[in-house]
Amino acid sequence: MKNHLYFKVLISLLALTILAALVVILDIGLKAASSIILVLFMLKFLAVAFYFMELKKAHVFWKSAVLIFASIFLGLVLLIG
Amino acid sequence: MDLVKTDSKNIYYPPGGILLWIIIFLELFTFGMALVAMVVYSKDEPEVFHSSRLLLNTTFGLFNTVFLLTSGFFMAKSVQSFKANNSKKSSLYLKLTMLGGFLFLGLKSIEYYEKIEAGLSIGYNTFFSFYWMLTLFHVIHILVGLVILSSVYVGLHKKESNLELEDFEASASFWHMCDLIWLLLFPIIYLIF
Repeated sequence: MKNHLYFKVLISLLALTILAALVVILDIGLKAASSIILVLFMLKFLAVAFYFMELKKAHVFWKSAVLIFASIFLGLVLLIG
Repeated sequence: MDLVKTDSKNIYYPPGGILLWIIIFLELFTFGMALVAMVVYSKDEPEVFHSSRLLLNTTFGLFNTVFLLTSGFFMAKSVQSFKANNSKKSSLYLKLTMLGGFLFLGLKSIEYYEKIEAGLSIGYNTFFSFYWMLTLFHVIHILVGLVILSSVYVGLHKKESNLELEDFEASASFWHMCDLIWLLLFPIIYLIF
């Protein structure tokens, strides 16, 4: 079961990478493209942390800490950028 | 091999160990703050940041993202095989993990060579100061990660291996941390300006 899970996560991560590349190619404006790209990469960040690093099995404190870090980082970059 | 399992639900035992997770957060905050600073500086020189970003090879960056993500997948599989007491498979996946790291470093070297040849060194402008400092610091992490994985590989092949699951998981977490840092660096440096 876990065999397939890791593979599914990898495929999702690669699909998100391709999606981000498409957003770069599409002419939708720098601000909109940047926001979409950042959100896509944050999803990838969380997928690596929760699945490959097995954080989903960890105490809620560690899960929350990663989520809070990702939210603050994304929020700050979007706010300033 | 020592396969004593720890209770990851316990706040003091996150997968990879509490000490490594403290390091991971320190690293994420360091890189995170530097990237936020880069975004702040870009407000002063938006044209410079945009034209400099266009000088980077996004295709190289995308391939390096694929190398690191695939390498992370093999690392997770290696830990899984180790837990299943299958050291042969674990060793194979570990080699594939390290291959991903070497491919990343190979492509990065080509990228660095091109930049140096074009005269885009650390002092070229503010953008390239950030580019060199952040990506080089990340490359150092990859190198350290490869040394750690090599020592795990040697430990795995010892006749009377004393490699513990906790050590294996900690090494894997360090490697995944390199993925995480790259997932912060890549969109900011290569894509958004």
